[in-house]
Amino acid sequence: MSASDDQADVQKVLAGDVAAFENLVRRWQGPLVNLAYRFCRDRGRAEEMAQEAFLRAYRALGSWRKDAAFSTWLFALATNLYRSELRRIPPKMFAIEDVAEPGDPRIADPLKLAEDRDRAVRQAVFTLPPKYREALTLFYFHEMDVAAAARSLGLPEGTVKARLSRGRELLRSKLPQLLAELNWKEA
Amino acid sequence: MKDHEFDRILSSEGDLVPSSGFASAVMDAVRNEASAPPPIPFPWARALPGIAAGVVALVYLFIEAFRQAGSVPSAPTTLDKLSSSLAPAFHAAQAMGAGWILAALVLTYFCVKVSLFFSRDRV
Repeated sequence: MSASDDQADVQKVLAGDVAAFENLVRRWQGPLVNLAYRFCRDRGRAEEMAQEAFLRAYRALGSWRKDAAFSTWLFALATNLYRSELRRIPPKMFAIEDVAEPGDPRIADPLKLAEDRDRAVRQAVFTLPPKYREALTLFYFHEMDVAAAARSLGLPEGTVKARLSRGRELLRSKLPQLLAELNWKEA
Repeated sequence: MKDHEFDRILSSEGDLVPSSGFASAVMDAVRNEASAPPPIPFPWARALPGIAAGVVALVYLFIEAFRQAGSVPSAPTTLDKLSSSLAPAFHAAQAMGAGWILAALVLTYFCVKVSLFFSRDRV
């Protein structure tokens, strides 16, 4: 995956070679679908949103200024689309019953317990207000790179850091109740 | 729960692999987009005279309304002259009744002709 490959393909598409766009799609389909999935937790909807993001990218390809990497531009475009899509039709909220019942903790498989707890934490992120949820989603999607998350969200790094901190606080306050409902005690 | 625990949990999500037909579906949508005719632009050149005439008429009406509102008597204007010369025609048409029907028919005929004239190149 190199920036020059992206640039060459973009040039070809802008020159009228529509087929060259397929290289961009194949190169970036994974990250775009995964990012969409982190926003909505629904595979079908994630692919629909990612397809719309590619279509918008195709339409707006001429507006990509080469001062930023193609991926930065693409992620910002996709993030913007995903955020507005989810504000238009909010994601399906997960009920606590959707998480597997652990049963008696003394006989339950510890690996399974940890897995369920991790899932509960991820689902708890969904209960946060959008601005904190989006900051956390982008931060972890970009492998904990605040600058990259800030670029995708179009926000200053300081704002993203503040939202991450507040988001974690909210998550921490919600988790005990969530875990108690699952019969867990924090270690 | 500590920050590093959140980091571990939230950053350890497995990657989702797009379905096998995803790229083809995107390219189909892109090709459809590329082959679609460009949107028909609004015919500003044809609409502008009408819009301009409308604006002029509105401005004129406002000026006249303000003038009428003031109590200063003024000399008969072009509008006054026009309405006084058209008054007998209106009275006659009102008396006949059929005049209005004729006027409506003529107007309809012109509307249809003008619409067909503007749309003939697009059909």
